[in-house]
Amino acid sequence: MSLALSTLIFEWRRYMAAVIALAVAGLLVLSLVGMFMGIGKTFSATIDRSPAHLMVLPPDSEGFGGATQPRRNIPALFQHPEVVEVQPYTVRWAMWSNFPAAGQPAKRDGVQTIVVDPVKGAVTMPNDFNEDVIMALQEPYTVVIDQSSLAKLGVKVGDKATMNGRTVTVRATVANYPSLFNAMVFTSRQTAKLLNLADEGPRVGSLLVKVADPARTDQVVEELNSMGKGQYKAWTRAQLSEKNQEAMFKESFIVIILGFMLLVGIFIGVVITWQTLQGAILANIKEFASLRALGVSMGALNLIIMELSFWVGIAGLGMTAILLMGVNALAGAFNLTMYYPLWSILTIGAMLLTIAVLSGLLSLGVLKKSQPADLLR
Amino acid sequence: MSEKLAIDAKGLSKGYKIGKTKQQVLKDVDFNAYHGQVTMVMGPSGSGKSTLIAALSGLMKPDEGEVIALGESLWKKKKSKIDQFRLDHCGFIFQGFNLFPALNATQQVEQVLKYCKASKTEARRRAIAALEEVGLGHRLKQTPAALSGGEKQRVAIARALSKNPQLLFADEPTSALDSVSGQVVIKLLHRAAKEHGAAVICVTHDPRLEAYADRIIHMEDGKILDDRQITPLT
Ligand SMILES: Nc1ncnc2c1ncn2[C@@H]1O[C@H](COP(=O)(O)OP(=O)(O)O)[C@@H](O)[C@H]1O
Ligand SMILES: [Mg+2]
Repeated sequence: MSLALSTLIFEWRRYMAAVIALAVAGLLVLSLVGMFMGIGKTFSATIDRSPAHLMVLPPDSEGFGGATQPRRNIPALFQHPEVVEVQPYTVRWAMWSNFPAAGQPAKRDGVQTIVVDPVKGAVTMPNDFNEDVIMALQEPYTVVIDQSSLAKLGVKVGDKATMNGRTVTVRATVANYPSLFNAMVFTSRQTAKLLNLADEGPRVGSLLVKVADPARTDQVVEELNSMGKGQYKAWTRAQLSEKNQEAMFKESFIVIILGFMLLVGIFIGVVITWQTLQGAILANIKEFASLRALGVSMGALNLIIMELSFWVGIAGLGMTAILLMGVNALAGAFNLTMYYPLWSILTIGAMLLTIAVLSGLLSLGVLKKSQPADLLR
Repeated sequence: MSEKLAIDAKGLSKGYKIGKTKQQVLKDVDFNAYHGQVTMVMGPSGSGKSTLIAALSGLMKPDEGEVIALGESLWKKKKSKIDQFRLDHCGFIFQGFNLFPALNATQQVEQVLKYCKASKTEARRRAIAALEEVGLGHRLKQTPAALSGGEKQRVAIARALSKNPQLLFADEPTSALDSVSGQVVIKLLHRAAKEHGAAVICVTHDPRLEAYADRIIHMEDGKILDDRQITPLT
C-alpha cells in the first residue's frame, strides 16, 4: 500500500472534513439532478412502459403534450407495409370528486384520464398492467389509479367517485405511475366515451404504433419520416423518452439552480479539501523533510500529495454514494422517484476528483516548508 | 589499511542575517572526514555544528567555501543533482525520528528504497535486512506508536543504512534517548563505519559517546578549536 493511501486510512479522522465536504458537494448536485430527472421520468412513465414500438407526433412536438395532428395520419401510417397497429394516445382532463365517508374530507381535484384498450397486448395497454387490472378495466365505469394517488383522491379500492359528474368505481391500483401534479386515472376507451372524454373529432394527439418486426423499428422510423414529408414525425420509444427528460433541462430555472449548486459545491469542496490537505501535510512536514534529506526529490513528494488528494476524492465519492442511499430512502418514503442517468453520475465523479486534485495542487506550496536543514538544529 | 578521504571541505563560511546585524555562524572552517571512521563533532550549543553538517551534506549552501564529497564538488552541482547525490550516497539520522505514523517499520525503510530504483521484492529484502541489522527483526510490522524511542531511532538508522550510504550524517542522534538506547545507537553508527566503510560524521554533546570515536573535533563559536585523531591513520 502506498504512503498516501496508508496515511489516509491511518489518519482518516483528519481527512473526514474534506471527505464530507466533497460528499456534500456531490450530494447537493446529484440529488437535485436525481430529483429533476425523477420528475422527468414520471412524465415519461407512460412512454417508457408502452408496448408501442414507435410513436408518431405532430412535426413540431417533442413530447406527449397537447399538440395534435390530423386523424388522417392514422391511415397514412398504414401505407408502410410493416405498420401493424396504430392507436391514438388519449389523455383528457377531468374533474374528480370522492364520496367522503363520515369524518373524511371531500376531495376535488383535476385528474389526467389516460385511455387504454383493456386487451392484453393492445398498443395502448402499458406493459406492466397485470391480468386483474386489465379485467377490471373491461367493466364499464371502472377506473384504475396509482397506489400513491389513493390518498390524494380520497378513495380506497372498491370506492366510488365522480368524474365530470358521472359515477365511477376504483377497481384496482397500479404502481410506479406517481405524478407530481395531477393524478393519472386509467380508463377503457368505452368508459372514456361514457364519460364524454373520448372525442372522435378530426384531430388526435400522439399515435402509438406497433410494427411487424420490432428489430426493424429504427429503419421503420426513418422510412416513416421520409414517407410523411413533414406531416408528422416518428420517434422510437427511447428517443422520445430521452427527449422528454432532456426537456427538463431546457427550463432555465433548473439550469440556473443546478449551475449555482455546482459552483457552491465546487467552492466549498475546494476550500475545505485544500485546508484539510494543508493541515495534513503540515502535520507530517518533518517526515517529508527527512525524505528530502535522504534525497527524495520535491517532484516525488508532490506526487505523494497528488496521490493523497486523489484518494481523498475517491473517499469523497464513496461517501457520496452512502449519503445518496440515505437521500433515496428518504425520497422513497415521500413517494418521490429519483433517477440518476449515467451522465450525471460520471459528471459528479469527475467533479469530485477535479475538486480533490485541484485542492491537492493548491496545497503543494506547503511542502516547500519541508526544509531538511530545519531538522538539523 | 589506508583510509580514503570521503569529505574534504575548505574555507566554509556561513552567516545568518538577524534584523540588520549579520551573525557569523561558520568562520572559514576547513574540515575533512575519512571512510571507515566515526568523526565526532562536539561543542557547546550554538557553536555551528549543525550548520557545518548542513553545508557538508548538501542541505544548505554555505556563503563561501568548497565541499568535495566523494571526489565531486558538491555546491557546483545543480539542485536536482544535489538531491540525486544525497539519494545515492547520504544517510541522515536526526535527533527526532521523523517516521511516518501510518507506516510500519518495514514500510518506513521501503518508502526510501522505492526512490533508489530498487524493485519491490528487492526493496522488501533490503528493508528487512537493514532492520535485522539494527536488531529489529522482531519489530518489522510495528508502527511508530508501538515502538520505544530507541527502537524508533533504530528504524531511522535502518532507513538511512538501507541505501548503503558512503556518507552518514548524524546530528545529536542520542539526545532524545536514554543512555542504554544511546549506546545501542552509537554502536550501530560505529558498525556502519567499520563494516560498510561509511564516513560517519556524528554531532553530539554526549561525552559517553567519545569511546566510539576515531576522531574528535571540537567546535566553538564557528571555528574548529581542536582536532584529535584517536585511531591513528595508517
Ligand atoms: N535558520 C537560521 N536562521 C537564523 N539563525 C540560525 C539559523 N540556524 C541556526 N542559526 C543560528 O546559528 C547558530 C549556530 O546554530 P547551529 O549550527 O544549529 O549550532 P549547534 O548545532 O552547534 O547548536 C545559532 O546561534 C543559531 O541560533
Ligand atoms: Mg545542533
